[in-house]
Amino acid sequence: MKIFSLLFGAIYYFCVWQIDWALFYYYPETNKWYLTAHPDDGAAILWYGWLATAALISIPIALVVPRRIADRLWNDLSWVVAVGAIAAIFFHESRWFV
Amino acid sequence: MITILLIVHGLLAVALLGAITHQALSVASATVGRDRKSFFARFRNVNGPAYASPIVVMFVLTAVLGGLLYPAYRIDVRVLLEDTNSRSANGIFEIKEHLVAVGLGALPAYWLSWRTPLAPESASTRRYLTWILAFFVWWAFLVGHVLNNFKGLLPH
Repeated sequence: MKIFSLLFGAIYYFCVWQIDWALFYYYPETNKWYLTAHPDDGAAILWYGWLATAALISIPIALVVPRRIADRLWNDLSWVVAVGAIAAIFFHESRWFV
Repeated sequence: MITILLIVHGLLAVALLGAITHQALSVASATVGRDRKSFFARFRNVNGPAYASPIVVMFVLTAVLGGLLYPAYRIDVRVLLEDTNSRSANGIFEIKEHLVAVGLGALPAYWLSWRTPLAPESASTRRYLTWILAFFVWWAFLVGHVLNNFKGLLPH
């Protein structure tokens, strides 16, 4: 569980701002789902795809990592990663306020 | 249907807000609200571990309902925000969706830190993750509320 929490936030960050990778795209105007972008269908909702990507990568890794390794990790790392994610979110989204 | 979903989403959010605020204050410094008879002291004097699982369930349910409402928001509200050039309003929603995503990811570690018997070595993790989640919930609640009423907030 600890590994999942650590990975999910970090992978979500990379999916959104570093590699721009959503597992799928949902177009609410046409109510269609695609694996690739289809700008002709209007504006896409990427949030579902980002969540799916982060979950798809972090769940298997969390299942594979042995518990003794997870237990050895610094407990406070989970909230430190969350604080880092908050800082990244506010930094990247500051573009809306300038 | 959307209206019913929105009301249920809002009600769940209120319950979540109350629960996480109680719990977040319960892990605040013991010097805060030392007067046991004060409202603040009574507010924070809750059984923190008992709140953890309901908070996880409510956080997930509220996020799922928010996800179901998202398409309607994208078509009806977001277009209005763009038409009125309300960039800040758009921005606070973008922040909301990311905070909720990070919150969903943090839930397992949060739940683990509140498992009884409470591990003393997890005290700081418990405290800070609870405060972080409380911040996410407050942000999401206030932003959702403002955007839901956005038309009425625009100057006439």
